[in-house]
Amino acid sequence: MEGWLNQLAGTALAEWVQVSRWGYAGINTLHVLGIALLFGSIAALDLRLLGACRHLSLLAVARLLQPLAIAGLLLALASGSLLFLADPGGYAATPLFLVKLGVIVLAIANAVALNLAPGLARASSRRLRSAALASLLLWLAALIAGRMLAFV
Amino acid sequence: MLRRQLLTGGLLVGLVLAAPLSAHHGWTGGETIELEGTITATRLGNPHGEVVLDVDGDDWTIEVGQPWRNERAGLAEGDLHEGVELRVSGEHAGEQLLKAEQLWIGEQHYVLYPGRI
Repeated sequence: MEGWLNQLAGTALAEWVQVSRWGYAGINTLHVLGIALLFGSIAALDLRLLGACRHLSLLAVARLLQPLAIAGLLLALASGSLLFLADPGGYAATPLFLVKLGVIVLAIANAVALNLAPGLARASSRRLRSAALASLLLWLAALIAGRMLAFV
Repeated sequence: MLRRQLLTGGLLVGLVLAAPLSAHHGWTGGETIELEGTITATRLGNPHGEVVLDVDGDDWTIEVGQPWRNERAGLAEGDLHEGVELRVSGEHAGEQLLKAEQLWIGEQHYVLYPGRI
């Protein structure tokens, strides 16, 4: 594992992330943009699932917000992978980073599970509510863990 | 209706409470101290470099700048190398953690954060 992380840190791409001033700042900016898109849209969707603004059609709301959330997630994952390259060994050895990854896996699994079966259109309102609450808490926890990485 | 308002309110309060924690990255308000020792390990790069300094047998982690800041201070590649004798002044940010503001190698003075000294 350690050898693999060292190898990763020695790649040309990783070396660029490690020394580039504006490249690194740009990747950080894209990471924030990804998180903003993801959390902003998922929070709105979750609130709708929890019962806010019932006059808005759930499927219409989901059709707008789910693709935005997925785009934000993909942007955050891609830019986050680049940020990881700055110090692979250091991040892998930071417990909070592993907690953050675990929480993200849970949050994605929660979303995928709801959409695969029974699906937004067919799920009971109880199922929708519990998934939405779990989603809000998990994504908020991932965001807080990620931000706190800079301070621990 | 009341429940919805409580829910939204609770969410907002949570976000607001989380915000000040993240509002300021880096400086923790610790006192300024000075250390002298020998570098035993170095990792330079974004988001900031770190050197391990042996100070009378104790290992201190010294956070230096990111590459552009170290370069601006006049540090060349290899200056913060294992075996180098280093005097460093900065913020005491953790038990054995120092955030460097300025440092000296021999007689040479390097200022990382001109606005903080």
